[in-house]
Amino acid sequence: MTDTLQANGVSSARFWRVALYTTLIVFAVFYLLPLYVMLTTSFKSLAEIRQGNMLALPADWTIEPWLQAWGKACVGLTCEGINSYFWNSIKMVVPAVVITTVLGALNGYVLTKWRFTGHKWVFALMLFGCFIPFQIVLIPMSQVLGKLGIAGDTAGLVLVHTAYGIGFSTLFFRNYYEAFPSELVKAAMIDGAGFFGIFWRILLPSSGPIIVVTVIWLFTNIWNDFLFGASFAAGEGAPMTVALNNLVNSSTGVKEYNVHMAAAIIAALPTLLVYIVAGRYFVRGLMAGSVKG
Amino acid sequence: MSNKNRAIGDWLRHHLPRLVLSPSVAMTIFFVYGFILYTAYISMTKSKMLPNLSNFIGLDNYGKLWKTLNWQVALDNLFIFGSLYIIICGLLGLFLAILLDQKIRTEGFLRTTYLYPMALSFIVTGTAWKWFLNPGLGLEKSMHALGWESFKFDWLINPEMAIYTVVIAGVWQTSGFVMAMFLAGLRGIDSEQLKAAQLDGASTLQTYWRIIIPQLHAVFLSAFVVLAHMGIKSYDLVVALTGGGPGRATEMPATFMYSYTFTRNQMGVGAASAIIMLMTIAAIIVPYLYAETREKNND
Amino acid sequence: MSSLEIRGIQKSFSSTQVLKGIDISIDSGDFLVLVGPSGCGKSTLLNMIAGLDSITAGDIVIDGDVVNEVRPSQRDIAMVFQSYALYPNMSVAKNISFGLEMRKVPKDERNQRVASVAQMLQIEPLLDRKPSQLSGGQRQRVAMGRALVRDPKIFLFDEPLSNLDAKLRVDMRTEIKKLHQRVGNTIVYVTHDQVEAMTLATKIAVMKDGELQQLGSPDEVYNNPNNLFVASFMGSPSMNLLESRIIQQDGAPVVPVSLKSGEEIFLPLPQSPAYRKYLNKPVIIGLRPEAITDPGSAEQESSLLYSSSCQIDMIEPTGAELYAIMELNKQEVVSRMRASCGVQSGQTAEVIFNMEYAVLFDPETELRIS
Repeated sequence: MTDTLQANGVSSARFWRVALYTTLIVFAVFYLLPLYVMLTTSFKSLAEIRQGNMLALPADWTIEPWLQAWGKACVGLTCEGINSYFWNSIKMVVPAVVITTVLGALNGYVLTKWRFTGHKWVFALMLFGCFIPFQIVLIPMSQVLGKLGIAGDTAGLVLVHTAYGIGFSTLFFRNYYEAFPSELVKAAMIDGAGFFGIFWRILLPSSGPIIVVTVIWLFTNIWNDFLFGASFAAGEGAPMTVALNNLVNSSTGVKEYNVHMAAAIIAALPTLLVYIVAGRYFVRGLMAGSVKG
Repeated sequence: MSNKNRAIGDWLRHHLPRLVLSPSVAMTIFFVYGFILYTAYISMTKSKMLPNLSNFIGLDNYGKLWKTLNWQVALDNLFIFGSLYIIICGLLGLFLAILLDQKIRTEGFLRTTYLYPMALSFIVTGTAWKWFLNPGLGLEKSMHALGWESFKFDWLINPEMAIYTVVIAGVWQTSGFVMAMFLAGLRGIDSEQLKAAQLDGASTLQTYWRIIIPQLHAVFLSAFVVLAHMGIKSYDLVVALTGGGPGRATEMPATFMYSYTFTRNQMGVGAASAIIMLMTIAAIIVPYLYAETREKNND
Repeated sequence: MSSLEIRGIQKSFSSTQVLKGIDISIDSGDFLVLVGPSGCGKSTLLNMIAGLDSITAGDIVIDGDVVNEVRPSQRDIAMVFQSYALYPNMSVAKNISFGLEMRKVPKDERNQRVASVAQMLQIEPLLDRKPSQLSGGQRQRVAMGRALVRDPKIFLFDEPLSNLDAKLRVDMRTEIKKLHQRVGNTIVYVTHDQVEAMTLATKIAVMKDGELQQLGSPDEVYNNPNNLFVASFMGSPSMNLLESRIIQQDGAPVVPVSLKSGEEIFLPLPQSPAYRKYLNKPVIIGLRPEAITDPGSAEQESSLLYSSSCQIDMIEPTGAELYAIMELNKQEVVSRMRASCGVQSGQTAEVIFNMEYAVLFDPETELRIS
């Protein structure tokens, strides 16, 4: 729906238009300012930060904080920068996203096109699993990971994120395949395609959008996760978010705000990039993950 | 093919869909429901640093929990944070959505701008705002530099006000998403109704108030559920922004659970607090999911 | 070319029974149309023939073999769906050949068969296109091509024309009929449109509420409906049904009917022993619109013509003919007349009742009296 503000007379209409745009711009500033400050701070020297104005552009541009953050900053006891944690996150995210997406796609396929009595209950069980506060699973999960010998390891985090991501990926694919015409599946059955043949040849080629949505959604969520990372992989195997928090909140030494900001931007970069490149799918995933149905 | 092989083949073909589904179902049952039961059981034991399954003490931990001052503070904070977070995000989201709905030329850019914080980790958001609101070097100093000498903004280290900084950062992160939800709702309204309202002589304001907003009740509900859910679970933001402090000024149930379980060696109490969190969320989510899925089935 | 037998087929979804024991048997080369209002179970029955829905009770027999447990792909059937169900990611050629590929038909043969089917359906220029680039009628042809290329024992059609606009529907109807005459395969065709049923079928099965109401040739179903439902469902405009009773007049059975003017006329009935039992009892008399007509259109050789002056309340010209609406027994009655017969609304005209085509029903059982 679109409707313009009605007003009496041209000048009044113009006034409203100006007020409207001003308000919108003020809010844009509100949302952009922290990012702007992060960026400018990350290119300033510590001395300039102490003396100068946070909002000012750097007088002396320097990429030293970025190099520091990436290769030299101290996270916990080691001072080798955040790069290893960045790779930890990658090693955690990629397998978790792949496994969860594949399982979700197959689940969605079964729950819509190969229904059995009780399929609704199965879906309800998985759906509710999406919304539990994860605090509820921390204690037993730490036990299980310990028993499996993958506590403090990215492999453990892959398992954790897969276990709690399946609900959402199943939800996404189920709702997508729900709208996929069942007659196509019937036609393929009559044509002689089997369970996997139908999935592979008929459904999957039409699943591009939902795969993108699911991958983005899972990627963003797993990359941004802190609770599981902090609980199960605090040391060397910690993901990026945990390392960032350790870096920023370490109580020893001088607070190097410029390095902190550079590290924060590095931590945010992958998801920001995804958002900028595929914002449409990102929003769709957010909607699908919150507006149920 | 022998008869036996064919029988196996038929059986496999018949059960294949369920076989494919079963690993996920097994994982869900184990990792979600099994773990919930386990935590529920732990909450009724005298577990300290490690789970202690033999020492069953019934609901004692719950009694202890409610008498713990930190838990009281956490609940108070959750109430303050939760209600402000939900109300401000909701109103701001609706407000921005309505503004963006006025045939704005740069809508795409503005929408992207309002929504991008949602792509960030709460840890990044917390780090950014912590710096931005830094009492010594952040906003306060910038305002002084701009000539506003008396400007004072020390909420981050002021126990009375610190919780509101969490609200600000939370709103900053999530309100764009609420806007997107409302915008989608607005775009879903039949434009012929608006033409009819125009012909009926309604002003823009009246059209929104009397015709459009009442039709967005489903979006209001969804937004409420999403925000309440995020609010109750919020852990990362508090950790990154205030670390629960100063003192325990920004303690929340999520941080309470974590610290009692893993650092204060009160696992039983921590588990009890997790159960309370689960029940609170379930009380909001379950009726919502039930209504949503039922609605769908009635189509 | 195969025969099909449906023996006592029942279908239940949880507690609701959607098919209550259907028996239909058709010969090789028959064109069976399952027709009925929505919810009558006709599509479910078709799905069961295809093997897409499980059977609660009864047997599906193709060429003498019970196929209840045979998978859809091995029943040697092909199906044309209401939505056409073309695979959106495949080209037209791929869509047509997919079933052959699944059956491991060699590529050369596949191409050859696709080409010959494409030629038959005149869709050769479309072979490289995707379904989304086709019009409704073209999609319909591709869907038929996909079925034809397999040369199956039985073709199944599930309301294949319901998504087309009126003109195209008539054209495609003709094409399907031509196709059947040319290839001569056994066809089962589901529709809710009784005109399609009449034009296409060699056998019509009229269904309602999961029960078979009548199975017969189009002519039988139209002229000798088993019951009130079949009578009113088949034919457009539908059969006029008047409540009356049989009385004896001059030794012959007649039914009294009152005109709008209040005058009562006595319509003669054919001599039938069955009518004796209903003497002086209430009956429902069914008259097709074409059995009430203008003198010029009446079948002069009919032995049971009755002429009367009736007031015409309204006329609905359709171009080729016109429907004159009048009142009999305080009920609205439609009659079918020549467009040029000159009747005008509000005027009185001479109307001929051809009682040879009258059918009578028992108001209690709703069954035909014969």
